Amino acid sequence: MNRIPIWFDTDLGVDDAVALLSIGKLPNLDLRGISAVAGNAELCHTFENARNVCHLAGIHVPVYPGAEHPLFVSLHTAPLVHGENGVGDVELPPSPAPKETKPAWDALYEAAKAAEGELQVIAVGPLTNLAIAFGKYPELKTLLKRILIMGGAAKGGNVTPAAEFNIYGDPHAAQVVFRAGVPVVMCGLDVTMKAYLTPAEVEEIGSRGTPVCRFFRDSNQLALKFFERITAPGLCCHDTCPVLFLSCPELFSGEEAGVYVETRGTVTLGKTVTDLWSDKQFADRHVFVVLDVDRDRFAAKVRELLLSC
Amino acid sequence: MINSLIRPVILDGDPGHDDAMAWMLAKASPALDILAVTSVAGNQTIEKTTYNARRVCALLGIHAPIAMGRPGPLLADPITAGNIHGQTGLDGPSLPEPDRPLSPMGAVELMAKTLRESSDPVTIIATGPETNVAALLLAHPELKPKIAQISVMGGGIAFGNWTPAAEFNILVDPEAADIVFSSGIPLMMSGLDVTEQALIFPEDFERIRAVGNQVSGVVADWLEFFFRFHRELGYEGAPVHDAVAVAALLRPELFTIQEMYVAIETAGEYCRGATVGDPHGRLGRAPNAKCVLGLDREGFVDLMAQAVKTYDGWEVRV
Repeated sequence: MNRIPIWFDTDLGVDDAVALLSIGKLPNLDLRGISAVAGNAELCHTFENARNVCHLAGIHVPVYPGAEHPLFVSLHTAPLVHGENGVGDVELPPSPAPKETKPAWDALYEAAKAAEGELQVIAVGPLTNLAIAFGKYPELKTLLKRILIMGGAAKGGNVTPAAEFNIYGDPHAAQVVFRAGVPVVMCGLDVTMKAYLTPAEVEEIGSRGTPVCRFFRDSNQLALKFFERITAPGLCCHDTCPVLFLSCPELFSGEEAGVYVETRGTVTLGKTVTDLWSDKQFADRHVFVVLDVDRDRFAAKVRELLLSC
Repeated sequence: MINSLIRPVILDGDPGHDDAMAWMLAKASPALDILAVTSVAGNQTIEKTTYNARRVCALLGIHAPIAMGRPGPLLADPITAGNIHGQTGLDGPSLPEPDRPLSPMGAVELMAKTLRESSDPVTIIATGPETNVAALLLAHPELKPKIAQISVMGGGIAFGNWTPAAEFNILVDPEAADIVFSSGIPLMMSGLDVTEQALIFPEDFERIRAVGNQVSGVVADWLEFFFRFHRELGYEGAPVHDAVAVAALLRPELFTIQEMYVAIETAGEYCRGATVGDPHGRLGRAPNAKCVLGLDREGFVDLMAQAVKTYDGWEVRV
């Protein structure tokens, strides 16, 4: 099997955890490294969470510390969904692996060089680490095959009516990434709000009794309450979308578009401006905007992956 | 039921093919009493839209006073849409020359006078940039209670047209739109969400032409002209945006309408002129607009065809 070399950039978070656990079980993905960034929780948490989830699931990949703060805006975490510690305030057994100290951008650059143009980055938090990497290494854009993000929305937003959390979390960094010239796959709210597990499905997985299944259920209790409050149909597995898009693209559909990030707006700060439906289109259209998912197959796949952990 | 009463209205627009068709619908309805007509710069320069407004009024038999608006937006540089509406702003069939003098008053003065003199609150139907309406609100805050409602064609909750994020009328004068949307006056916003579905298909053009009066012939010609540009962009019919702002007042049951807070982006690199809708109340602001989001297309076309029919027996020299 031709395995796809990937890098995982995460503000590990409860849905990031599902994405990472999935990566660990997808045979066609070859995880080369993980970088942590501040977002859902502070970096001290997201870094440890990434290490601890790897330990829980037996994923033996180095985790590198990234940016503690967005480039220009202030950090806003999401404790209502992810708890104060980022994993729903569940205590994970600490990873005994030695702590990497190399910064995320250096480690990512080295991995990109080593993969000789084949590396694909799955980025599911604010895009600060990637923006810093593009800033430090101008040639990085020629070394990455593709960037798959969870972030943005062609229509609407969640943290504001116009902006989604990860992009709003660091709009300037996101704009650097969309302008880098590397092909981007954008899994925004358009698809991720449809990529959910029902509360009953979450409970069924949790009842399986393995440490990973229990962690999945327990860490998502706050998130389940949150999604119930916003009348979402279940637990949205936002960050698993780019992972499964890479591994099982047949579950998804979308369209090519031009996408740029508003960094100077007042009510539109952090909006991913797409030209899918306007008469006027951007000159450069290098983003694949994922718009839909086969919900039932997606949920079945997530279940299968979590049960195999 | 308010739509069973006769509503006094001011028509404020930048004709424009779809403005002209909106006015055709307004004049045809016994439920609307047109008190004044004001022109605004938008689809074309103020000289051209004013001339067109006068010619359209002559064609339709609108005898209300007509006044000319400002030469351009409150703050922004003017933008026009000559590529869509042609060099005159209303290219296509021949129209009668204006049949009465232009009001010596400016648009805002005429609007203010009209509001003051009307015993009932007046509905403003604004189918161009919001420039005149905003200037009116700035200059005459005391007249706000005399405005029953403002029916705006502009914006789009989900997308734009002139830029990926902004619709033409709002993009031309975002500051004016912001003034109008934050005025507290009841607003109905017919944006691209609905107006791009308000398509009149080529087979409908023939149905309208077959009505057989002078206005029906002109409207069919306008539709054909308007469709020519849109067909190249992949549209299946002519989107008569501005007519929705009138139709939704007359026949709200044909439309899907959702109340929400709408903010106008006046800054932004990509989003200037965007109308940001907040259907889930995330900003914690009270709704300020009834947003028209969908329609019964066939019912809408029927309404247009019936309106054209009311001009039977009316003819002017061209």
